[in-house]
Amino acid sequence: MEQNYIYAPALTSEFRCKVPLKETRQLFIVNGKVQGGKSPFSLRLKEGEVMKEMLQIISVRHKSYKEHLATQQDFHFGKGSSGKIIQCSHTFSPDRFRTTEKVTISLERDAVAEFYIMQNEHNNAEHSTSYEVNLGAGAFLKMVFLSLHGGVIRNDIFLDFNEKHAECDLAGLYLTDSKQLMDNNIYVNHLVPECNSNQLFKGILDDEGVARFYGRINVAPDAQKTEAYQANHNLLISDKAKAYTSPQLEIYAGDVKCSHGATIGRLNEDELFYMRTRGIPAAEARILQQKAFAYEVLEKISNTELRERMLSLVERRLRGEFSHCSTCIRNCC
Amino acid sequence: MNNDNIMLKISGLKVSIDDREILTGVNLEVRPGEVHAIMGPNGSGKSTLSAVLAGKENYKVTEGEILFEGEDLLKLSPEERSWAGVFLGFQYPIEIPGVTNVNFIKTAVNEHRKRKGLPELSAAQFLKLMRERMAYVEMDSSFTSRGVNVGFSGGEKKRNEIFHMAMLEPKLAILDETDSGLDVDALRVVAGGINRLKTPENATIVITHYQRLLDYIVPDYIHVIYKGRIIKSAGRELAQEIEQRGYDWLIN
Ligand SMILES: Nc1ncnc2c1ncn2[C@@H]1O[C@H](COP(=O)(O)OP(=O)(O)O)[C@@H](O)[C@H]1O
Ligand SMILES: [Mg+2]
Repeated sequence: MEQNYIYAPALTSEFRCKVPLKETRQLFIVNGKVQGGKSPFSLRLKEGEVMKEMLQIISVRHKSYKEHLATQQDFHFGKGSSGKIIQCSHTFSPDRFRTTEKVTISLERDAVAEFYIMQNEHNNAEHSTSYEVNLGAGAFLKMVFLSLHGGVIRNDIFLDFNEKHAECDLAGLYLTDSKQLMDNNIYVNHLVPECNSNQLFKGILDDEGVARFYGRINVAPDAQKTEAYQANHNLLISDKAKAYTSPQLEIYAGDVKCSHGATIGRLNEDELFYMRTRGIPAAEARILQQKAFAYEVLEKISNTELRERMLSLVERRLRGEFSHCSTCIRNCC
Repeated sequence: MNNDNIMLKISGLKVSIDDREILTGVNLEVRPGEVHAIMGPNGSGKSTLSAVLAGKENYKVTEGEILFEGEDLLKLSPEERSWAGVFLGFQYPIEIPGVTNVNFIKTAVNEHRKRKGLPELSAAQFLKLMRERMAYVEMDSSFTSRGVNVGFSGGEKKRNEIFHMAMLEPKLAILDETDSGLDVDALRVVAGGINRLKTPENATIVITHYQRLLDYIVPDYIHVIYKGRIIKSAGRELAQEIEQRGYDWLIN
């Protein structure tokens, strides 16, 4: 594995994660600077290489640099290689941070990769990330976005299927309150036959929070036997929350299975009453319903410890606390 | 009769939905240890009465009152009624995808304990209690990890209602058509669970429009409700008569 950093035990304790996940290596990027290594960050897995530990990349915006920051991260998975990446982004203070990030992910033939993207920033932070993804033959990519908190969070994903039999599973959960904006734009491009793509994005929107979802599936004329699915579901908790959803299918091949669905709804009143008759107070019942709604996305996290931690972060978030782990006062995971 | 010992007292209850009067003047008294059956044709207001007792919104009480252990029940929220000891078994139990049955009932039990000033049950204590109470209705442990009522058959949903009741140990259980959609075996199991939960201190109102359930759960009183009011109250022998003659002779 070629990666251009070394673990930096000397890192100031301010940035250290107090409760690291098991079997996980951590890398810190502070204001775009890779700690103990060269910037921008890049990772290359050789042919057949299997990452034994997860790699957690924790990007932090710190008040020592308040200018607009443009950064990049590059991931290359060689033939048949596999690995799991956790990307966390945080702000350490409520300053007006603006971050523009580009992430490239390429998987060669039969590579398998999972990306868990955890976004947890203050209300003044604007963070826009553009993911450029290329998948080779038989490759499998899973990406799970957890946009927990942030002023403006924008994720653009441009994913191209370049060779047959590749598959991607894209999922996201976004939670807004106050005047936050979460914006997801997904372009899945089926250029070749016999690839599968699956998208599931769900949002819970409170206060005056706004969510935008734009999902475009393009199936080229030769891309026969494509299977492409997309779903976007939004739960409005308050009267002023808003969701805009725009699913787009452009299909130029005949023999394909494609579907898309989008909903914007509210909590189910019958469920609520049922729970209350069993003695579950209304507020608690609403949290249970929202957790249930979120679970469909969170259950895609294959690592149990990470999933449990994300579940508890989401629960705290739904209870209106800025999320952090129970054993640590830092606002990170 | 001793008035102090009345658990539930419904007097002159009139209820409207969207300006349509559904309950047109219901009177009912229930004492600890009693089992009451409420019968009546479809659409006569049985489910409406049970929903009003449980605190469902959008049901407007235009006249009358409901006292539970001497307190005004109508001013309590549904959860407060549950904590006070009122339980409603739904005619159509609600499915809650994503909330597991075990988490659901654990949350409910601990909320009840909180109101009684009791600490939460430990995981082991809870598991023991749950196993014991599931056995009351011969429920398989696989139902605990599934979403509440999701993919349950009609009979399984009704068993689950009685399982919830067994966990919460209400003072007053109102069971709305717990027998509907059950085959004979399931009916025997569900009725067995209900009978097992009976004590001299608690009371049960079973709502049904078949006499069948009353072969298993023997009521002290039977009330016939029609067009939103109780038109006949009698002892358990009334069930036989309704079985033979239907409701027409009572209505006319
Ligand atoms: N939510 C509702 N909105 C309007 N009408 C209702 C509603 N629920 C019940 N009703 C009406 O009230 C009457 C009594 O219904 P219900 O209480 O369900 O009767 P039962 O349980 O005895 O079959 C019926 O005429 C029914 O159509
Ligand atoms: Mg009914």
